[in-house]
Amino acid sequence: MILPYFENLQSGIAAKLETLGANEPRARKRFALEIARLGVRLFSPPRPGERVAWCGVLAPFDLLHAMGVTSCFAEFVGAMLASTGAVEPMLAAAEGAGYSTDCCSYHRAVTGATMQGLMPKPDFLIATSAPCTGGVAVIESLARHFERPLFVIHVPQRTDGRGVVQLADQLRRMVAFVEEQTGEPLDPARLARSMALTNQARELLVELYDLARARPGPARRRDLFNFGLVIGLLLGSEAAVEVARTYRDELNLRVERGVAGVPGERVRLLWLQNRVQFRSPLEEMLENAGAAVVVDELNSVTWEPIDADRPFEGLARRMLSIPLCGPVERRIALLQRLARDYTVDGAVNPCHWGCRQGSGARGLIERGLREVGVPVLNLEVDCVDPRSFAPGQLQTRIEAFAELLSQRGGG
Amino acid sequence: MYFLGVDIGSLSCDAVLVDEGGRPLAWSVVPTGARNVEAIAAARAQVLEQAGVAEADLGGVVSTGYGRARVEGRLAAVTEITCHARGIEAQLPGTRLLVDIGGQDSKAILLDGSGRVVEFAMNDKCAAGTGRFLEAMARALQVELTRLGELDARAAGRSLTLSSMCTVFAESEVVSLIAEGAEVPEIVNALHRAIAARTQALVRRVAPDAATLGAAMSGGVARNAGVVRAIGAALGCVLQVPPEPDTVGALGAALIARERAAS
Amino acid sequence: MRAVGFTCAYTPLALIHAAGLMPYRLLPTAGDHIPDQAGAILHDNLCPHVKRVLDRGLAGELPDALAGIVLMGSCDAMRRLADAWRVHRPEDPLILLDLPSTSDAADVRSLTGELDELSRTLGRWSGTPVDPGRLRESIVLYAELARLTADLARASSRGALQRWLNRTVTEPPEAVLEELRGAVLAAPGGGVPLYLFGNVLSDPAALELLEECGARIVDDDLCTGSRQLTSLEGDPGAEPLPWLSRRLLERPPCARTLEPAGPGLARRIVERARAAGARGVIAHVLKFCDPYLARLPAVRAALRGAGLPLLVLEGDCTLRSLGQQRTRIEAFVEMLS
Repeated sequence: MILPYFENLQSGIAAKLETLGANEPRARKRFALEIARLGVRLFSPPRPGERVAWCGVLAPFDLLHAMGVTSCFAEFVGAMLASTGAVEPMLAAAEGAGYSTDCCSYHRAVTGATMQGLMPKPDFLIATSAPCTGGVAVIESLARHFERPLFVIHVPQRTDGRGVVQLADQLRRMVAFVEEQTGEPLDPARLARSMALTNQARELLVELYDLARARPGPARRRDLFNFGLVIGLLLGSEAAVEVARTYRDELNLRVERGVAGVPGERVRLLWLQNRVQFRSPLEEMLENAGAAVVVDELNSVTWEPIDADRPFEGLARRMLSIPLCGPVERRIALLQRLARDYTVDGAVNPCHWGCRQGSGARGLIERGLREVGVPVLNLEVDCVDPRSFAPGQLQTRIEAFAELLSQRGGG
Repeated sequence: MYFLGVDIGSLSCDAVLVDEGGRPLAWSVVPTGARNVEAIAAARAQVLEQAGVAEADLGGVVSTGYGRARVEGRLAAVTEITCHARGIEAQLPGTRLLVDIGGQDSKAILLDGSGRVVEFAMNDKCAAGTGRFLEAMARALQVELTRLGELDARAAGRSLTLSSMCTVFAESEVVSLIAEGAEVPEIVNALHRAIAARTQALVRRVAPDAATLGAAMSGGVARNAGVVRAIGAALGCVLQVPPEPDTVGALGAALIARERAAS
Repeated sequence: MRAVGFTCAYTPLALIHAAGLMPYRLLPTAGDHIPDQAGAILHDNLCPHVKRVLDRGLAGELPDALAGIVLMGSCDAMRRLADAWRVHRPEDPLILLDLPSTSDAADVRSLTGELDELSRTLGRWSGTPVDPGRLRESIVLYAELARLTADLARASSRGALQRWLNRTVTEPPEAVLEELRGAVLAAPGGGVPLYLFGNVLSDPAALELLEECGARIVDDDLCTGSRQLTSLEGDPGAEPLPWLSRRLLERPPCARTLEPAGPGLARRIVERARAAGARGVIAHVLKFCDPYLARLPAVRAALRGAGLPLLVLEGDCTLRSLGQQRTRIEAFVEMLS
């Protein structure tokens, strides 16, 4: 079921890209095409020499790519199922087996998909203890279900030098684990190439995120939806560079022409953590209220280029820099900086149901943003389970928030 | 010698009297009201009067239901799970799966085929799908609660789906549907299917393959043939319903009183 | 003696003691008068244990002479607790210890590093540096506490035992040990033998409620029960810190600790329930506890395979939440009688 979806998606987008005029926007389609290609690789029957790994969100995908492993974070499948309207049976299957509805639906979706035989059997798994406890439990249960070896990366709480050393050390041990699984040693030349490509993509990301700061915001409604999180899956490859470059060029053009991504932008918003993955009227509601999401928390580069001479330390630093690691005050500091850089009027925190890591800090984050004069709209939503979506309630809250922000002199 | 079972629920107090052979002689149902002590006494008195039996002839009393600790002179207080299992075995021997939907809670009980409980699951945190839910919906539809089963049978299509399961929001949704011109039988059918979906989730916790089991339904809601059909359809089986389905718990309690008095 | 507040069974109590400080567990069983503020400061749908501990802190329900707080980075909820405490009680010195996710040799080394740094911090808090000699003595003390409470567990009612367990972590351990040596506890009543597992259930009245419903708890795997005091048998040797670190990580784990190659929670529960002669198993799990909720289906399947019925109770650390489930508990006991 899932492989044909990605195959059709891939061929459909490829065909569309062929027919696009030179001036038509293509960045999002290029991005979607690469995701479709990744999906095809993940869900296709294994070919000799190919390895697939299911991982936690913070796994170093570019390093794994350099070792010839096609890897992805498991929650990706939950998001994909939600976006295609196919997630409800998966959730029902997991709940029927006793998985509590109090827990994150990204994980329940993956569990349900596994029970339905839709998750491809990996060669091995790499769990990451951050961002969340629930995520690491899902990878553990996948490892047991498929009876495949599991490596656990413990992401230290401390984000200082000692933390970097500890994490770098674990990454080296992860490499040893992967080498044992694949029977192939890490090729330093491939690693160097991968890191170079990562750094190239990074530079372009920095540029494009910077361009997105313009007023009015040049990014259209779904241009950068899920972007930062998912581009991480493509790092280390040419594809990431190409996608980032296409976005950079497109945004550049729009900024030069002063074209607004969301026509009638009156109120500028910062969106926290994740978007709602299933089709919903949420973005339309925002736009009808004159609000544009000009920046997503996870669409930000928080890490320095990877030092070619010390790649493990560089990758460790990158992992630790992700705002969902370590004390929440770091996350708040990043949000405050983004709010300032993008001159936002307000922030939306979609408190995903069951997200202890993220939504658990709801009160502290609101306080932190209020300190810099940014009101926060907390929306209690489920980003993956459409069954509890209440459009009427959300509409009221969004409109009221937009009114509040307009009165404060937004736009 | 006679034996009495009393089931003190939130909505009604039920009492059943059995003889030495375990045969039910009489039953009574009294609204619990605000003071269950009075309701218990009334249910007791009524059932004894109907059977023409005196208090002194009682060999034992077992109480069940949420108010089971309030019955004086009892042999024991036994949970409604165990009592329902015994009761349904007496009325429909060999039952393997019992679905009980009462005034404000619902239960799924897996039985061993001889009236013993193997596993059970309860939903007592939320009234959605219970007797209270249907009462509220009947009010919103302005029909008699007892007519819901018959109305369901007249539903021509199955296109409506209720999106809220919360009793309060479902009521609003029903009112909206009426205003939009939806047919009452269709709405009733949708309500029944919504209850069935929730019930199915509860049943799956104890019996992933309910279709293969001999199943029955008890509790006041079992009088609604539409709900019984809908749950049966959702589970893939036909649910048997004993006569006087809301007294199954009290009957079970009476039978347990008989057993315990003998030992 | 000044106290060091803690909330997790992985906390190195002997190390705190070796610095001349008294480990003081911030139990969630403080009274109903404590206002509910944690939901607004963090989120309502968060571990009730963490919320109640935070509420205690915000209400000032803490020991008078508090030297500091040591929290373990066991799970997302605990990390958020640390974040909230830092913002709303910045006057308390607070350490969030990094707890490894697994328990292999590298993890023992990394935890040792954390404990090493902690020992220096504790020394600063108390003015008494921790040295190997003092640590060895403290280990001996806590080893005996663990041994005595484990012995008592075999022969006493759980409610009575829980009172003692709570005292070992809220009062000066030397005095409690003295009393424990001569203690004779109420024998367990009759009842259906059951195995109890889960996380936090520190209210003795809650355990008494289970016994009132006809359960006889023959063994448990609760972090406020048998896991509260780590078994410290043996000779720590010349380097007690790595030894302690290994003991902490190798003893029966909380569900948050992964066992990539190990038997896992499900197998362990089946084995221990059988060994204790239990006829059924009760899980008492805190609402919103991701590590336990994620593993329950596997536990249920394993117990089903072993012919051991399972009753899952979701709680919020209060006796009241357990009392509302009385019917379930009684029905479960009736089922097994």
